[in-house]
Amino acid sequence: MASLVSRRSAVSTGISVPVLAILVAVGVFLVVGSLVSDIFAQQTVAGLAQGAIFASLALALVLIYRATEVINFAQGELAMATTYIAYQLTLWGLSYWLAFFLTLPIAFVLGVVLQVVFIRPVHQSIIAVVIVTVGLFILIDGLVTWKWGADLKFMKAPFGNHVYRAGGVAFARQDIGVLATSILSVILLWGLFQFTKIGLAMRAAALRPAAASLVGVRVNWMLAIGWGLAAVLGAVAGLMTEPTQFLQPTMMQPILLYAFAAAVLGGLESPAGSVIAGLMLGVFLNLVGQYVGFATSELRLPLAFAVLLVVLLFKPSGLFGRKQVRRV
Amino acid sequence: MNARFAGRLVVIAAVALVIALLPFGLTNYHQGLGARVGVYFIAILGLNILTGYTGQISIGHGAFMAIGGYTTAIMSHDHGTNLIATLPLAFAITFVCGLLVGVPALRFSGVYLALATFALAVSVPQLPLKFSKFTGGSNGIRTATAPGNSWLYGVTWACAAIGFVGAWLLLRGRTGRAFRAVRDSELAATSSGVALPIYKTLAFGISAAYAGVAGSLFVLATAGFAQPNEFGIILSLEILIGAAVAGLGSLWGVVVGAVFVGLLPEISASVPVLGSGHGQDVVFGLIVIAVMILLPNGFAGLLRLVESRFKTPIESDSTTS
Amino acid sequence: MSMKRRLLAVLAGAAVVATAAVTAASGAPAADPGITSTSIKIGGTFPLTGVASLYKTIPAAEKAYYDYVNDHGGVNGRKIDFTILDDAYDPSKTVPLAQQLVEQTKVFAVVGSLGTAPGLATWSYLNRNKVPQVLLATGDSYWGFSYKKYPWTTGWQPDYPGEAKVYGKYIAANMPNAKVGVLYQNDAYGKNYYAGLRVGLGAKKGNIVDAESYDATAPNVTQQILSMKSKGADVFVVFATPTPTITSLVTATKVGWTPTATFINNVSANRLFLLAAAGNGANVDGIISTTYTSSSTTQRSLAGVKLASSILDQYAPALKASFDRGDANIIYGFGVAWTFVYALQHAGKNPTRASLMKALRSLNTGANPFVYPGIRLKTSAKDNFPIEQEIMIKWGGGATGDWTPFGKLLGPIR
Repeated sequence: MASLVSRRSAVSTGISVPVLAILVAVGVFLVVGSLVSDIFAQQTVAGLAQGAIFASLALALVLIYRATEVINFAQGELAMATTYIAYQLTLWGLSYWLAFFLTLPIAFVLGVVLQVVFIRPVHQSIIAVVIVTVGLFILIDGLVTWKWGADLKFMKAPFGNHVYRAGGVAFARQDIGVLATSILSVILLWGLFQFTKIGLAMRAAALRPAAASLVGVRVNWMLAIGWGLAAVLGAVAGLMTEPTQFLQPTMMQPILLYAFAAAVLGGLESPAGSVIAGLMLGVFLNLVGQYVGFATSELRLPLAFAVLLVVLLFKPSGLFGRKQVRRV
Repeated sequence: MNARFAGRLVVIAAVALVIALLPFGLTNYHQGLGARVGVYFIAILGLNILTGYTGQISIGHGAFMAIGGYTTAIMSHDHGTNLIATLPLAFAITFVCGLLVGVPALRFSGVYLALATFALAVSVPQLPLKFSKFTGGSNGIRTATAPGNSWLYGVTWACAAIGFVGAWLLLRGRTGRAFRAVRDSELAATSSGVALPIYKTLAFGISAAYAGVAGSLFVLATAGFAQPNEFGIILSLEILIGAAVAGLGSLWGVVVGAVFVGLLPEISASVPVLGSGHGQDVVFGLIVIAVMILLPNGFAGLLRLVESRFKTPIESDSTTS
Repeated sequence: MSMKRRLLAVLAGAAVVATAAVTAASGAPAADPGITSTSIKIGGTFPLTGVASLYKTIPAAEKAYYDYVNDHGGVNGRKIDFTILDDAYDPSKTVPLAQQLVEQTKVFAVVGSLGTAPGLATWSYLNRNKVPQVLLATGDSYWGFSYKKYPWTTGWQPDYPGEAKVYGKYIAANMPNAKVGVLYQNDAYGKNYYAGLRVGLGAKKGNIVDAESYDATAPNVTQQILSMKSKGADVFVVFATPTPTITSLVTATKVGWTPTATFINNVSANRLFLLAAAGNGANVDGIISTTYTSSSTTQRSLAGVKLASSILDQYAPALKASFDRGDANIIYGFGVAWTFVYALQHAGKNPTRASLMKALRSLNTGANPFVYPGIRLKTSAKDNFPIEQEIMIKWGGGATGDWTPFGKLLGPIR
């Protein structure tokens, strides 16, 4: 089984030379710009902070896709719901971090249950799965509004409000915390897929379900675990988003759109790619907003998607994805 | 062609008769609801042509409805165009937009296409805000006159009837077979000489044109008022859900899908347990999921199941549509 | 196909003629719909779900007030039956819901509906059918100015442009050399505020060094605030809905921008939001806004606040907690409901829709216990703005503080 999967992964790092060159060029541009202009530096830092939030949700999307070949349109709502669960735990007296770490296994179970009950019966048809996740989107939104109401609620900021200053630039500890959490999540995920048996089994179940089950992988369970893990990542994303969006049923909706863009931009199969793409998207939006007059606020969203569509036209598998070869 | 076809024709005629006679027994308010169901009928029909028959997923038909709707509002508001005359105009404009979307869409498939159309659904309603001089921005723009509900009902269902017959004629011919070939196996289609890009793009254009007309009628049903909040992502989701409930790949269930999406808010508003507002969402979401799990081919699939009970042994050999 | 269409057209035509004949034959109705000797039906459309649903406490508070009035004999013996419908802030839903209220529920009046676009979508229909569309919950000024064309429509609260004028005048008078940075939502709501600010600044409108718009779907406004900081703005004016306002205050502090004065709009000046901003690290002391309602936290001894508190205890205990923390939406709802009841009481023993409108268009009372003390509700043939007075407030006390009014009652603010 290992040979089945690793042969493909030997080809699969997906970082081609042109993309790497672009990345380096962008990095140099950002560094030089920041040294020259304070406002450039601050916009970049702010863009990275916002991008980290896109990245954290994008990670969950990528994980679900990689583990189950499914796009989950309800990912944002699921993330929002698990954040409300954490909130409820704090209302019952738990400290923020205790509630945070208790929510993760709850989210895992929730993800598994959703996959088994709602997705498994229909997973042979892409259209059916899309529609079921759309139904979940609406259902979860309704349930959360029913239970907790739609008024603004607030949780304690996880990393505190302290702001470090260097040169003319401010770095909020909260933003650094979100960035660090995203990067940590990517590393843990990569470790899971590369080094653990479960990770290997999950990859096999997604890529070659028939062959995998022949060698003893419980394919159905791997898909469910994939959803469970994605729900955990979603909960983390929601909790990282709450300090800036606050707690309301629509809190993840602005993020979801950009997270999709980041996930596709980076390549739906590449966790690291989606994080890098998320960060780049955040910085891009801020810099364009600052320096390009025509790009007024109404165009922010359409611009992000225009960029996305252009990239997809030239490299459909995203910046860091593998080329999809369809065997006849 | 055969007994089964004649049977379906009778059913269609009966349904059409009911629809034609219904407004006489309905209050003005209910006629308005009936018109709204008709709007969804046309939009779902359009989406079905695309997703049901060529297998291209679109979660973005709300965007085409927005284009059609704003066309009607702006033409009537700025140029006093007759309301009915704006309908073919909306059809033509959204047909072209559909073609423009269909061409790059050739590069995407499956979930990527769903995502791309999702992006469309979210971005297009932003545009009226940017070009607020022409579109009234967030204050919306309204037609010169607002039609009454019985006018709306008649015009909407007349368009629905035309659209239905048009779709049926299209789909039973060569184009329809090409569409189905695209859906079932692109490889087989290409190797038997079906020019994939043409048919896939054509499907997008036609589907968008239907949505455009639906959008015009949607605006007319909203007192002639076009405003960005009317065309949110939920509208696109509703059309997709309606098409799924109707049964993708078949025309026979579209009425049911339209009734489901158009009237469910009415009905679930009176569901006592979950109360107002959010109760609707919960009921809606649950029903959609249940339908997809239990009745994956929607109402049309149910019809086929029922039909198969009545088939004679000989007839059951014939291929389904 | 054309045969069928012709047939359809003929049938439809016949239907229209038949309906018209029937209505004509039934004669003029004796009394307005929705009112009997023991009850009066009203209704409204509100965003109970969707993007604006944080305002759903307003109709809940209004219902509590009507329940209280009903338990005390109603109005001239009539109990108020209030139907709350959810339009999710979507005009395509508001239109059928308005028709439902008028034609199915047969309400006497549409009271307190929330939202500008929903209001604009339905005011033609309601005015054409001579149904009162009153006490609309939005601060746009269309309702105040359009009474000639839409005589059945009124608003209630002070309008947004007028409020922005207050800030402009204050800045021009007290900070004549200020460099002003304005953040506003990129739709009519924000643009109207911004226009009002410029009018208020008058000759000093050149002091605006940076005006940034943001989109309601945007996840943050950091880029805009950084831009203001870089252009040297030292006065910050925010015309936004609550979430972006809170975010702006937090972001401003985080990026190290310390404007000498910050102004936020009344809609965002709910105590709960300021507490949240402070909790997330914003410097909130000294922020200025305006109000026209009593405060449920600093004015607890007022008769109106005590009454509101007791009504909530009995009829809407779920709202009590946020009321006690300073949620202004609740007292807003009470203020609107009180106004409707007052107008109904002054519409005669047997009110008609016309007499209700007459009462609402000739208000002159300082007796509303839920508005800020001293504010009078006043309308006349040429003035369709019931409330035009406001008082400025300033925040003190940081993360556990509150608003303190200062200066004189200002108005009329237009």
